[in-house]
Amino acid sequence: MKRPVSSLSLGSSLKGKLVRAGFQFTTDLQDLNPEHLSAEAGVSQQEALEALQAASSGHGVAPVTALELLQKEEEFRSIVTFCSQLDEALGGGVPVGKVTEICGAPGVGKTQLCLQLAVDVQVPAVFGGLGGQVLFVDTEGGFQVQRLVDLAGAAVRHCSLLAEDEEQRVAMTTFTVETILSNVFLVRCRDYVELLAELHLLADFLSNRPRLRLLVIDSVAFPFLRLHDDLSQRTRLLQGLGLRLIAAATSHNIAVVTTNHMTTRLHGSQAQLAPALGDVWGHAPSIRLLLRWEESRRLASIVKSPGHMDASVQYQITYQGFRDADQSERPPSKRPRSQTDQSASSRKNTGT
Amino acid sequence: MNWDQLQLKPRIISAIQRAHLKSVREVLVLSEPDLQKMTGLSGPDVQELLHAAATACRTHQPITALQLQRGECRRLESGLRLGTGCPVLDQLLRGGLPVGGVTELAGESGAGKTQLGLQLCLSVQYPVEHGGLSAGALYVCTEDPFPIRRLQQLISEQTSLRSDVPPSLIGRLRFSDNIYVEHAADLDSLQVCLSRRAALLLAQGRVRLVVVDSVAALFRCEFRPDDWLERNKQLLTVSSMVHHLSHEFTAPVLCINQVTDVFHQSESSSSSPSSSVSPALGLAWANQVTVRLMMRRLQATVSRGDQSSALRRLEVVFAPHLARGGRDLAVWREGLRGVLDPVLAPFGPDVAQQEMVLPLRLNR
Repeated sequence: MKRPVSSLSLGSSLKGKLVRAGFQFTTDLQDLNPEHLSAEAGVSQQEALEALQAASSGHGVAPVTALELLQKEEEFRSIVTFCSQLDEALGGGVPVGKVTEICGAPGVGKTQLCLQLAVDVQVPAVFGGLGGQVLFVDTEGGFQVQRLVDLAGAAVRHCSLLAEDEEQRVAMTTFTVETILSNVFLVRCRDYVELLAELHLLADFLSNRPRLRLLVIDSVAFPFLRLHDDLSQRTRLLQGLGLRLIAAATSHNIAVVTTNHMTTRLHGSQAQLAPALGDVWGHAPSIRLLLRWEESRRLASIVKSPGHMDASVQYQITYQGFRDADQSERPPSKRPRSQTDQSASSRKNTGT
Repeated sequence: MNWDQLQLKPRIISAIQRAHLKSVREVLVLSEPDLQKMTGLSGPDVQELLHAAATACRTHQPITALQLQRGECRRLESGLRLGTGCPVLDQLLRGGLPVGGVTELAGESGAGKTQLGLQLCLSVQYPVEHGGLSAGALYVCTEDPFPIRRLQQLISEQTSLRSDVPPSLIGRLRFSDNIYVEHAADLDSLQVCLSRRAALLLAQGRVRLVVVDSVAALFRCEFRPDDWLERNKQLLTVSSMVHHLSHEFTAPVLCINQVTDVFHQSESSSSSPSSSVSPALGLAWANQVTVRLMMRRLQATVSRGDQSSALRRLEVVFAPHLARGGRDLAVWREGLRGVLDPVLAPFGPDVAQQEMVLPLRLNR
């Protein structure tokens, strides 16, 4: 397959010089050394080196088979939500390597689910968790440590009740409220420019922290809805942001969770609630969860996902966190989390 | 913008200057191909430029929640709360209003919203160990004139409200000198007040609480129903101002809001339609609020000695750190106080006894 030189990510003047010197396709640049190229095309050595690097990196993307993808996906487990019905609907939880968006009206529990995931991603591997770290980007000011401490304490108690063998008891010594808090990195972004800056620096941050498995942005809507003067600019930036998040999720194997507001959309004369930020942004997340009230019940629905059926489950938010709606009838100790995990993963295995 | 401050190669800096880019923010909102086109730089150079710009734009490194909890970061004191001056309400609010974020208090007229606003203007002046923030308050009125007589009454009765604070300390605080009152009769003057006066007072440290009483009044009278797009824009502008103030100066902001009736096309038409009110200004405003509280006036009255008051209820509608719930309260001469089970124990003048059964304040 021939790739034209003009499609490489190089400065336009450099590309022009190369093309004028007769280097039409990347194959023309093969087997050349920088000195040779700089003499041939009349560019500096530095530029020649850049061009050669860009041309050779184009070949670097090796095709991946579907089987390899599947194995990779199974290697990285999902983050459980501690609401077993939602986990079941999502096939084990919030997937690593994908972008998941949580939409909902104010007060329905978006931030609560984000905080819950920030704790759950740290559940040690012997309990079926990921033992990971989390970067929490707070744009709304909704991150309250007090609440994180509640959830962390409940998760620690829950796991300590489940600890049966020696290995699990050893893991419990490092799974405390204090370590949970020390594995949550918080950034506050006051506007969309700071949010974009933070994402530019994400790769650096991740390279120092290989255990980071979750990026939360709570919320994307808040800074971008301010940008109401220039809608084309907003659309462009959101599109770039979406691509950047997908790239971060797949290349670093992290789960990306964003939240979004609801807004009123008019269909003829009928007003309906719809996720904010428009249709272009709607393509960014691979999974979209909609949290909503129905009378006094809270419902979570999967409204967009390539791999799941549309489903609605009931949940509740207790002092302990994001939980199954009927949990009050069953004490948490009677509901071993690791078993539901195993059944979820075994179901996945038999299904394939 | 002085580009030399960035750690960049000289040729990148000269290319930026040739392209007339003025700030790092301007660089960050451009896409990579656009930057390449504008500056004539190569891909890796543009990457380097973006990285440097992002580093310059980021004022603070990510910090862990543990550092935050231990108070190692003065900028984001998320555990700090502004107490209300009443242990019952502080228990409901887990200590009081969060210092970073916008708290909304909605309710019908006469529910007691302004009373709570005034009480917070006083409690903010106490030192931190007594639930305050050792600073004054800015009170922005948009509907009624500032209730100065009521404020004077509250100040003179502080010793009886705050029996937990030594009277000598209360005597030393000069309450009325530290409350700045502004009247904003239209949206423009509200924006000027928030962006100039409020920012100045907060920056000087004279003030660490902003009360806007109320946000709804201006928006409800200045816009017709078909102007909703313009109204939403203005709402976002005002809300981003108050958010900015709150986070920049780690100061709580209380926005008082009116309520609007909600008519349901309900299947059960027998249920009384009168009870359903919701905060005004709709979803666009609700999305901007961190904590939403509602105050309702109940039918019952409570009396204590020669005073009597209609029973009220303060409810948490949503908040990232609070459970839904509510407490009954009454408005006395000295201010708002929670009422514990008014039916079983209509408490008399013996306030000390009542405070024995109150749970201790959280987090202090």
